[in-house]
Amino acid sequence: MRPARFLAFSAALLLGLTACGSGGGGDAADAESGPVTISYGIWDKNQAPAMQKIADEFHAANSDITVKLQVTPFKQYWTTLQTAATGGGAPDVFWMNGPNIKLYAGNGQLLPLDGAIKEGGLDLGDYPSALVDLYTLDGKTYGIPKDFDTIGVWYNKAIFDAAKVDHPTDDWTWDDFQATARKLTDPAKGIYGAAAPVENQAGFYDTIHSAGGHIISADGTASGYGTPEALHGIEFWTSLVKDGASPTVQQMTDTSPYDMFKAGKVAMIWNGSWAAGEYNGIAELKNTVDVARIPTGPKGSISVIHGLGNVIFAKTKHPDAAEKFVAFLGSKRAAEIQAEAGAVIPAFNGTQQQWVDSMPQFNVKAYIDEVADAAAYPVSKETKTWNALETEILTKVWTGEVAAATGLKELATQMDAALAKEQ
Amino acid sequence: MSDTLERTAPRVTGSPSGDPAAPVPPEAGRRWRPQHVGVHAVLLLGSLAMLGPFFWELSTSLKTLGETLVLPPTLLPAEPQWSNYRDVFDTLPFGQMFTNSVLLTAGRVVGQLVLCSMAGYAFARFEFAGRGLLFGLFLSVLMVPSQLFLLPQYEIIASLGWLNTLQALVVPGLFSAFGTFLMRQFFLSLPRELEEAAKLDGANHWQIFTRIMLPLAKPGLIALTVLDVLWSWNDLMWPLVVNNDPMAMPLSVGLASLIGQYQVNTTTLMAGSVLATLPVLVMFILLQRQFIQGIAFSGSKG
Amino acid sequence: MSRMRRNDLFWAGVFIAPTFLGLLLFYMWPVLRTLFISFTETGPFGGSEWVGFDNYAALAQDSALWSTLWNTVKFTLVALLGIPLALVLAALLSTPGLRGVKVYRVIYFLPVVTMPAAVGLIWRTLYNGEVGVINAILGTIGLPGTNWLSNPATALYAVAVVGIWLGLGTQIVIFLAAIQGVPKDLYEAAQLDGAGRVRQFWSVTLPSISPSIFFISVLAVIGALQTFDLIFVMTGTSNPAYPQTETIVAQFYQRGFVDNQQGYAAAIAFVLLVLIVAVTAVQFRLQKKWVHYV
Repeated sequence: MRPARFLAFSAALLLGLTACGSGGGGDAADAESGPVTISYGIWDKNQAPAMQKIADEFHAANSDITVKLQVTPFKQYWTTLQTAATGGGAPDVFWMNGPNIKLYAGNGQLLPLDGAIKEGGLDLGDYPSALVDLYTLDGKTYGIPKDFDTIGVWYNKAIFDAAKVDHPTDDWTWDDFQATARKLTDPAKGIYGAAAPVENQAGFYDTIHSAGGHIISADGTASGYGTPEALHGIEFWTSLVKDGASPTVQQMTDTSPYDMFKAGKVAMIWNGSWAAGEYNGIAELKNTVDVARIPTGPKGSISVIHGLGNVIFAKTKHPDAAEKFVAFLGSKRAAEIQAEAGAVIPAFNGTQQQWVDSMPQFNVKAYIDEVADAAAYPVSKETKTWNALETEILTKVWTGEVAAATGLKELATQMDAALAKEQ
Repeated sequence: MSDTLERTAPRVTGSPSGDPAAPVPPEAGRRWRPQHVGVHAVLLLGSLAMLGPFFWELSTSLKTLGETLVLPPTLLPAEPQWSNYRDVFDTLPFGQMFTNSVLLTAGRVVGQLVLCSMAGYAFARFEFAGRGLLFGLFLSVLMVPSQLFLLPQYEIIASLGWLNTLQALVVPGLFSAFGTFLMRQFFLSLPRELEEAAKLDGANHWQIFTRIMLPLAKPGLIALTVLDVLWSWNDLMWPLVVNNDPMAMPLSVGLASLIGQYQVNTTTLMAGSVLATLPVLVMFILLQRQFIQGIAFSGSKG
Repeated sequence: MSRMRRNDLFWAGVFIAPTFLGLLLFYMWPVLRTLFISFTETGPFGGSEWVGFDNYAALAQDSALWSTLWNTVKFTLVALLGIPLALVLAALLSTPGLRGVKVYRVIYFLPVVTMPAAVGLIWRTLYNGEVGVINAILGTIGLPGTNWLSNPATALYAVAVVGIWLGLGTQIVIFLAAIQGVPKDLYEAAQLDGAGRVRQFWSVTLPSISPSIFFISVLAVIGALQTFDLIFVMTGTSNPAYPQTETIVAQFYQRGFVDNQQGYAAAIAFVLLVLIVAVTAVQFRLQKKWVHYV
C-alpha cells in the first residue's frame, strides 16, 4: 500500500475508534421495568461453572434480568475492584471477604441488604452466626454469607503407617500433635513431621484462639498479640521449627510447604477446607491423605471461620435487580448448586452434607464439626495493613532473628497504632 | 531510490549491500572457521543459560500435575502429556483471548506507527523555537514510573465514558514518547539530500514526508512495531482495570487467571505460556533483519 | 528565511500535535495529578483533604522507605553489569564470518519475548535451595549452594541476575547493530598500527558505539529504578529476605494499594521521579566525558 494511502487509512481507523466513544458503556437508560443486565464479579475460575449455573437458574425464574459473570484473577481482584469502585464502575454484585468487608461497608461502598433480605424471604439464622456477624456493621447487614471454610490438619497416611504411628483423631491434643510431629521427622528420608509456615488463617490464628487468646479486641481498637495466650499460640509453631520437626522458613520460602506435603515430604500440615477439593482431584493424593480436626489446646479446638459474602455495590444502577439476585444467591437452591460442584462448603445450614459426601474417603466432616466452636475471623477497617505487620514481624520470630516475646510485644504496639489510625 | 541512498550514506560501510544485518559472503566464512571455536564455546555456554529456563518451561508443560510436585524435580516427563495443550483451550477461551490480544496490539501499533513517525520526523527535521524544550518534555515522560499512571488514566477513561470499550484499551497506547524518540533517532540518521532536492522541486512538508521519508523509514517502523508488540502483548493491569467484560480480556489476563488464590495450575500455565509466546517469537524470527536495521540507525546516535 | 521558519512551525504543529496532545492528556496530566495528590491525604474510595507538605515530611523520616531506596540502588548497580556482558556477547557475535549468527540472535532474544507470568515461576524452581538445578550444578563443581531467593545475603542479587537475563536480548541486538555500523577503515588503520583483536575492540569499537552504550545505560538505569513486578513475583512478602529485596516501587504499591494511603504513595512516586530525572541528567552531563559522536 502506498504510504499516503496507508496514512489515510490509519487516520480513518483512528477517527473511527475515537468516534465510537459516545456509544460506549453498557445498557441504555432504562427503568427497572425493561430487561436489565447486571454484572457479578468473582475471582475463582474453578467456581465459575457453578456461579454460571446459579445465574442461569436465576434468569430462568426472572426472565427480565440477565446476570453477566466477570472473573478477575485473585491477585488483581482487589486493586481492580477498588479502582472500579472509586470510579463508580464496580460490578453490581460481587464477592466480598472478611479482610475487606469493613473497608467497603465502612466507606459507603455497599448497599445495606436488610431490604433485600426481607423481600427475598431470607432468614439470617440459616447461616453460621459468626459469618453473619462478620458481614454486619453498625447493626446493618451488608453481605449474605456464601460459603465458609475452617481449618483442619491434613496428614499423610503412608508416612504414619511406615512409622507405625496411630493416625490423628478428632479429639487429640496439642501434646499429641507435638509429640507425633517429632516422632515422624526422619532427616535420613528428608521427611518432616509437620510444616509450620508463617500462616495466619491456617496457623497461628487457630492456635492463639485455642490457647484462649484473641487477635483483635471485640471493639476493634486493641491488638491481642501482647497477651501470654498469644505467646503460647505462637510458640506452638516456633518450637516445631526450632526442633527441626518443621522445615526452616527459608526452605519453606523456596518450596511451598503445601507442595512439600503434596510431594510426601511433610507428614502433617494445617490447611483449609478449600484444600479438600484440590487433594481429591490429584490421583496420587486421593487415597494417601486424610484430615483430622485441629488438636485441642488449653481452651479447646478452636478454628477461625471465614467465608465469602455476596454484596451489592452502593452505586449500582440496578438496585432492584441486584437485590433479587443477591437474595437468590443466599437461597437454599444456590447453596445446593455450590454443594454439587464441590469446590466450597456452602454457608446455608443443612446443605453441607453433599459436599461431605462428594469425598467419602476423606474425614472432611471434621471441618463441619468445627463450626460450632469456631471463632470469628479477625478483621478491621484496614485489615491488610496489620496483616502485613504480622508477616513482617512474625517471619523474624520464626527465623529466630527476634525472640517471640519481644516480637509479639512489637507487633501488638504497631498493630495498636494502625488500629488507632482507623478510629 | 535505494541507489541514491547507498551513494550518499556515509556510515554504512560494513558489508557490500549496505545492510548491517545482511549475512556475510560464504567465502569469508570458510576461511575463518577454526579460529571461531573459542567464540562458539562462549556463545554456546551463554545459549544454554538463555535456553535452560525455556527447556524447563517446555518440560513442565508436558508433565502431569503429580509429576510437577515430585521433589527433587525430574528433568523430563515420563510421558509427554500433549493433552495439557488441549487443556489450555478447555480452560481458557484461548481463541477469543488471542483475538483480543491481537486487536489491542494491532490498534496500538498502527496508531503509533502513524503518530510517532510524524512527530519523530518533525523533531528530526523541522526547526522551530522551543524544539529542544518540547523534546525534553517528551523524554521526561519516559522517566515516570509506570505504576503511577494506572489510577489517573483510569479516572480519565471513566470520565470520558469509555469504560469497557475497545478504545479504552487502544487509545492511551497510541501516544508514545519512546516511539517518538526512536523515530527521531532514525530520521536523524538519514541523509538530507533527498529532502533538499524535493524542496527545491517545490514539494511541501507533507508530500516530502509521505512520498520520500516514509518509504525510507521501513526499518525504523518495523523496529517500532516489534517493540510495541512485545510491550502490548504482555500488558496485564490496564486491560483488567479498564474492562470487565470477560470476552474482551487478552491472553495476559487469561494466563494470570491460572494462578488461583491457593493453588497454581502449573502445567496448564506453562503450556499456555508456550502457546502465547509462539506468535511473538515467530514474528521476531521473520522480522529479525529489518528489526536490527531499524535499531542500527536509531541507537547509534545520541 | 523567516517564511521558512514560520512554515516549519506550522508544519511542526501539524506533525507533533496529535502525539503531544495525547501525551499531555494521558501521561503529563497524570503526573501533575499525582503531584497534587501528594499534597493531600485521600480516602480509599476518593475524597481528599489538603495536608500540604506533611506527606513529604513523613517520608523524610521513614527509615523503611530509605532502606527500600537503598535496595533499589543496589539492584540498579547490579543490573548495569549486564551491559558489559551484552557488549562482549555482541562483539563475539560480530566476529567476521561467524556461522549461525541468526540462530544465536533468536536464542539470545528468547527471554525478551516470554510471558512474565511464567518467567518468575521457572526461575524460582531453578533457584530452589534443596532441589534447584543451580545448586545441583554448583554441587558438581564442588561449590556450596544456598537458598538463593530466601537468604537475605543473596536474594537481591539472585533476582538481579534474572533481570539481566531478561534484558540481555534487547541490549545485544542494539549493540550488534551498532557494531556492524562501525566503518571498516577504522579497524584497518588500527591493524596497521599493530593492534590485536582485543585492542581493536577496546580502542575502536567501544568509542565508536559509545552513543549506543549511552542510550542503553540510560534506559537500563531508568528501567532498573522502576523494578517491581519481577522482584514481587520472585520474593513475596513472607520471604525472610524481603526487607533486603523490597524496592521503592514496591513501597509505592504497598502504601497506595494496600494501606490506602494514596497521598503518601503519590509523594513516594514523585520523589522517585525526581530521583530518576536527576540521575538521568547526571548521565547526560557525564556523556561529554566518554561518548564520542561522529
